[in-house]
Amino acid sequence: MTATAVARPTGTRTPDGPRRRRPTDWTSIGLWVSLVITCLIWAIPFIFMFLTAVKTQADVSTRPVWALPELWAWGNFAEGAQTGDLWNTGLNSLLVSVIKVPLGLLLAAAAAYVLGTIRFRRHKLVVAIFAVGSMVPIQIALGPLFNTMLSLGLLDSLPGLILPYLAFGIPYQIFMLYGFFRAIPEEMIESARVEGASTFRIFWQICLPMAKPALAALFILDFVATWNEYAIAVTLLQSQANYTIPLAVQNFSTQFSTDYGQLNAFIFMSAIPVLIVYLMFQRYFVQGAFAGSVKG
Amino acid sequence: MTTHTSTAPRSASHPRGVNRGRGLRAVPFLVPATLLYVYFLAYPMVDSVRLSFFEWSGFRTEEPVWVGLQNYVRLFTADPVFWTAAKNSIIWVALSLALPVTLGLLIALGLNRAMLGRNTMRAVIYLPAVFAPITVAAMWRWIYNPTLGALNQFLTAVGLESWAQQWLGDPTFALYSVFAASVWTGVGFTMVLFLAGLQQVPPELVDAAKVDGAGRWQVFRNVTVPALRPTTAVVVILTIINSLKVFDLVVGMTGGGPAQSTQVLALWSYTQSFANHTFGLGGATATVLLIMSLALVVPYLVWALRGDDR
Repeated sequence: MTATAVARPTGTRTPDGPRRRRPTDWTSIGLWVSLVITCLIWAIPFIFMFLTAVKTQADVSTRPVWALPELWAWGNFAEGAQTGDLWNTGLNSLLVSVIKVPLGLLLAAAAAYVLGTIRFRRHKLVVAIFAVGSMVPIQIALGPLFNTMLSLGLLDSLPGLILPYLAFGIPYQIFMLYGFFRAIPEEMIESARVEGASTFRIFWQICLPMAKPALAALFILDFVATWNEYAIAVTLLQSQANYTIPLAVQNFSTQFSTDYGQLNAFIFMSAIPVLIVYLMFQRYFVQGAFAGSVKG
Repeated sequence: MTTHTSTAPRSASHPRGVNRGRGLRAVPFLVPATLLYVYFLAYPMVDSVRLSFFEWSGFRTEEPVWVGLQNYVRLFTADPVFWTAAKNSIIWVALSLALPVTLGLLIALGLNRAMLGRNTMRAVIYLPAVFAPITVAAMWRWIYNPTLGALNQFLTAVGLESWAQQWLGDPTFALYSVFAASVWTGVGFTMVLFLAGLQQVPPELVDAAKVDGAGRWQVFRNVTVPALRPTTAVVVILTIINSLKVFDLVVGMTGGGPAQSTQVLALWSYTQSFANHTFGLGGATATVLLIMSLALVVPYLVWALRGDDR
């Protein structure tokens, strides 16, 4: 039933009240105005950040936050990138995300597929055990995780970051995808099997393509989460050469925060990849992201 | 457990039971995910509980010493920060249930109808959620900057100079100042969940109610609210879980200060282990947090997975 919910076009079927009433619909206009105001309030922090990012240090201390700069200091972006070591940390984050996100999704999909389509005893218990992992605070495990990585000799390395990232991303994805795979009609899988398709083929050629909307949504969620992860990275990474973007932001804002122009420019640049991914996959988002978690 | 019937009192036309061959086929698909999960998540979590019964500085050269329940006794009776952290975590959960959830629902209801700029507005509300919490912390620290920050400058400009505060430096305001930033980032997520839920409101029911002469409020009360019930349950549980997890925002904005006024359980557990080198106390705090989370999550999962036998 989850899959049918996904296929339905986004809320276009909500007409604005009874059409017979000709006079202006003041309720709708009032609603629209209040929503626009809410959005403006939501956008204000970004506007202030941007205006600061293009100001010189002198303009920051003499002009109000909402004033345009006297002198447009676009150089803040290049200088901030330099000061905060953006290229190196960005590359680290990109490397981690590009390996972790697709690999994690594939492993989670494989597990969710057998849990959702093949009936074996206690499959629900297995799903529940995985799901619990996605719902307890990460910080609970950080101390021992540090020791584990230390004894594996993987502390302060990118592989040593990718492994726990995989472990912490998989549970939620299994829980979500399980719902999708379960909704695939049994007859479909049965008939593929009768025609001689292997378990792997059914997974690869039937189930995975059907879960595309869910996979796309999980891809954005996971990319954003991986790019933004802080707690594990701050625990496991020590040398600046291995820093990921969130550590760079934190480092920048505590060490060089007297240069507010550069700081704000740096903050903007640190989010560019997630903004790109978000905008690219946005249309899948509301449809696919959570439909699996919401049962009617 | 050979074929058919053993666990299958379901649809008679498709008898499907537990089958040993099938279970074996599942193994290669499950192994990688399970290994990663067990080794890098489940085991460290259980190990936290084990460590809570030891006294240990965390240094390799030192052996953990078994102390039984002593860490818990210390935590509950002699740790001056634990109760502050627990109280703040609970305040955070309560405020999160009240503010971002209500706001997210209202905005989702508004943005669910066709209107000018709907997609842009949805994107604007969701946008802050895309930014890393640690980045949001840096942004808001700038907004709260006592002299150059936007908030105090704005208050001064509109003549409310006396309202200007050391937003993050004053123990009375700090927790709520940090929380305001979390509302800004959190509402988008709640809105998306409610929008997904609203798609499952059967349009036939809405139309039928309207034909029967129901007004907007009646449609909302009698059709939308009941249909949103499962979504609301998901939103509530996720909000509680995310509130107990709050970490980056606090680290980035106040580090738990001033005077521990923004300390929360997740951060306090971390501080005890890695800054104070008391892994036992850190483990005990983590265990308390784990028990709190499980007490909420397990009933939710039982509910969410109910009737999944097919």
